[in-house]
Amino acid sequence: MNMHKYEKIWLWFGTVTLLVFLTVVGISAFYMGNQPPSCAVTIDPAKAAKEAPFNEPGLKQIGDNEYQLTVLASAFHYDVGEPDGIVEIPKGATVHISATTSDVIHGFELAGTNVNMMLEPGYISTYTNTFKNEGTFTLLCNEYCGTGHQTMAATIKVVD
Amino acid sequence: MTQAPMEEHEKDVEKEEENEFKGTFIAVMLLGLFLIASWVGVWILFLIR
Repeated sequence: MNMHKYEKIWLWFGTVTLLVFLTVVGISAFYMGNQPPSCAVTIDPAKAAKEAPFNEPGLKQIGDNEYQLTVLASAFHYDVGEPDGIVEIPKGATVHISATTSDVIHGFELAGTNVNMMLEPGYISTYTNTFKNEGTFTLLCNEYCGTGHQTMAATIKVVD
Repeated sequence: MTQAPMEEHEKDVEKEEENEFKGTFIAVMLLGLFLIASWVGVWILFLIR
């Protein structure tokens, strides 16, 4: 087959680029452990507020610089275990986040970080994140959930 | 004697074709570099956050 020289260069360029992208994604997923949020565990949404761990939401230390953050979302509020809705996390801590909703679908986006999940009724969404950077981050709902959707927020403070 | 001008003519056509595709090649390479730059940008954003 007669193929133009430029076309061959372009095909090589595309193939090599694709292989590099796939290798980087593969190493990131299977060596560095960067996995998408999981929602494999189920819960009865009507009883979520009474069942562990969602009967006691909030931040709990479970190890050296390791924490468990449990959040129960409902229209139009995030129960993070603090009356003022502000959670303080030490900088550099690894936090295992577990969240669910007791009514409709909500979002769970910690703006400015890699934490971004969908909360579906009946499922527990989990994600592990290490907070490398100091700052005040807003936890907000990015799935339209009703008339109070825009007021649904909480605050995560990463402090030194 | 009749072959020499033919060969020259073929060479001319080849050269002309190369010039014709040069712009396309540069444009498509720029697009490729743009794709790589945006991919790397998003990846770095993911790593530093």
